[in-house]
Amino acid sequence: MAAEDNGRDLLAIDGIVKRFGGIRAVDGAGFSVAAGSVTALIGPNGAGKTTLFNLITGFEQPDSGSVRFDGEEVAKQPAYAIARRGMVRTFQLTRALAAMPVLDNMMLAAPEQPGERLRNVLLRPRAVRAREREVREQAEELLEVFGLREKADDYAGTLSGGQRKLLELARALMARPRMLLLDEPMAGINPTLGRRLLDHIQRLRSEEGMTFLFVEHDMEVVMNHSDRVIVMAEGRVIAAGEPHQVRADPAVVDAYLGSPA
Amino acid sequence: MTELPLAITFEAFTNVGFWSGVLVTAGIYAVVTLGLQLNVGYTGIVNFGQAGFMAVGGYTMAILVLEAGISFWLAMPLAVLVTMAFGILIGLPSLRLRADYFAIVTLAMAEVVRLSAQNAQGLTGGNKGLYCNFEGVEQTCFDDAWKSLTNPFLEWVEGFWPDVDPLFPLLLAVWATVVVGIFALNYIQRTPWGRVLRAVREDEDAARALGKNTLLYKLQSLAISAMFGALSGFFLALFLTTIQPDDYEPIVTFYAFGVLVLGGLASYKGVAIGAVLLWTLLEGMRFVELPITEERTAALRFALVGLVLILLMAFRPQGLFGKKEEMVLGR
Repeated sequence: MAAEDNGRDLLAIDGIVKRFGGIRAVDGAGFSVAAGSVTALIGPNGAGKTTLFNLITGFEQPDSGSVRFDGEEVAKQPAYAIARRGMVRTFQLTRALAAMPVLDNMMLAAPEQPGERLRNVLLRPRAVRAREREVREQAEELLEVFGLREKADDYAGTLSGGQRKLLELARALMARPRMLLLDEPMAGINPTLGRRLLDHIQRLRSEEGMTFLFVEHDMEVVMNHSDRVIVMAEGRVIAAGEPHQVRADPAVVDAYLGSPA
Repeated sequence: MTELPLAITFEAFTNVGFWSGVLVTAGIYAVVTLGLQLNVGYTGIVNFGQAGFMAVGGYTMAILVLEAGISFWLAMPLAVLVTMAFGILIGLPSLRLRADYFAIVTLAMAEVVRLSAQNAQGLTGGNKGLYCNFEGVEQTCFDDAWKSLTNPFLEWVEGFWPDVDPLFPLLLAVWATVVVGIFALNYIQRTPWGRVLRAVREDEDAARALGKNTLLYKLQSLAISAMFGALSGFFLALFLTTIQPDDYEPIVTFYAFGVLVLGGLASYKGVAIGAVLLWTLLEGMRFVELPITEERTAALRFALVGLVLILLMAFRPQGLFGKKEEMVLGR
């Protein structure tokens, strides 16, 4: 199912299997995500969406199958290496670093900081400080955009649930990703903040050509804000296409409502 | 003369030799606990094996001097490197485990080191320990070089301070190490490297998702901690003028944890002050005269230190210098 002949695919997954004991959480799932698109991944609870996210981003190792990002096989690579390639994820339950200030959360995510190596801390302090100034500026700009500027010095643990979601997205952007994987970005946040989050996603896609893959349960968001929808059930992809096609697919209706017999 | 309950003798304040020993002990514990602070307070890895690193450092130094005939001053950096390598060797398989399993592995490691030292008699002298080598024509001891360096200094000090204790040079060296250690650790803690370390402490998965090789940072943290373990091992060897397996029992690590808790998590300064407080409390109580036998007083000392730690946990769980916000929000 992976379309390797299509040069525009940024992410191509093929025949991914992951077993936990006797259960096949992901059972041969495969699909591709076009560069610059917003793709939604939906499916009933237990369909394997979050496990698939973990497999794609290296947080779990697949038993078999391939994950190609920008033409390179990443299925056996560690999570940090995949993130550095430009595929960055967020989590279903936000992972704000609670006992660190909001600004430190942001600055942490910046790539190419020589000061993250102990050797450079000791031998190249000037290069470290110069990069640190750049990173701080970028972080403050992004916090401004996300309306968190005045929270910069607060501990991230003092933010509201919605603000944490925004922080997590802003922090992921600090990593300068080419593709973002968002696990239920709209869960647990109020409609106003949700609106803003969606606006940011649309803006990043159109202005910077960023690619998005997101898991979401809110069908209104899925149908109105994605170019393509992939439907999973019982560890497999059962349908894929534009939102209106997927909505009309009887297999999808069955998966959600249960088929008679 | 009838004994007053709870009287404190004046000797408590005038015994220079006694208090020099207490301060050296406190300094040694401050050095070893600085490493623990880096691990537990800033990286979130619970290392119960500091006594093992002390032993590896001390024994390696003494064996290099006595068996291989290497200079004391060269043996120390070599022993530091050996201890750090040992830390990495232990960390590579075990730092992938969950925090509590890692703690068990490090505790076991320290005991393996101690029991090996007890039984590898050809190399370590077994329970007799290591001090001097009597085999050659001239007797060599591992602290010869230290003594030949510090004795002239001591004589010079005696010129204007006749009461100076022979431990004075060691006291200076230990506390200079503590001060330099605090500055160095505070410096690296404020760099982007230190920020990644804190992120690992807060949420390792979040750090990995942002492209950080968290295993590497945990290994570095453990190796640096092992270095402080080795340094304190040297000082303990010079203080006791011998290296014996009994001096590296797990209780040493637990005292260090007492220092850590007293001073507070995520504060290097707190380690130094916690060490002085704990050892002043523990040793100073020898001078409190109670109408009970000496053995009972000795046991009571530890009970009272335990009580102090319990009260601290109840009323100031972050310790003296820890940050309460970090403690509450971190969980």
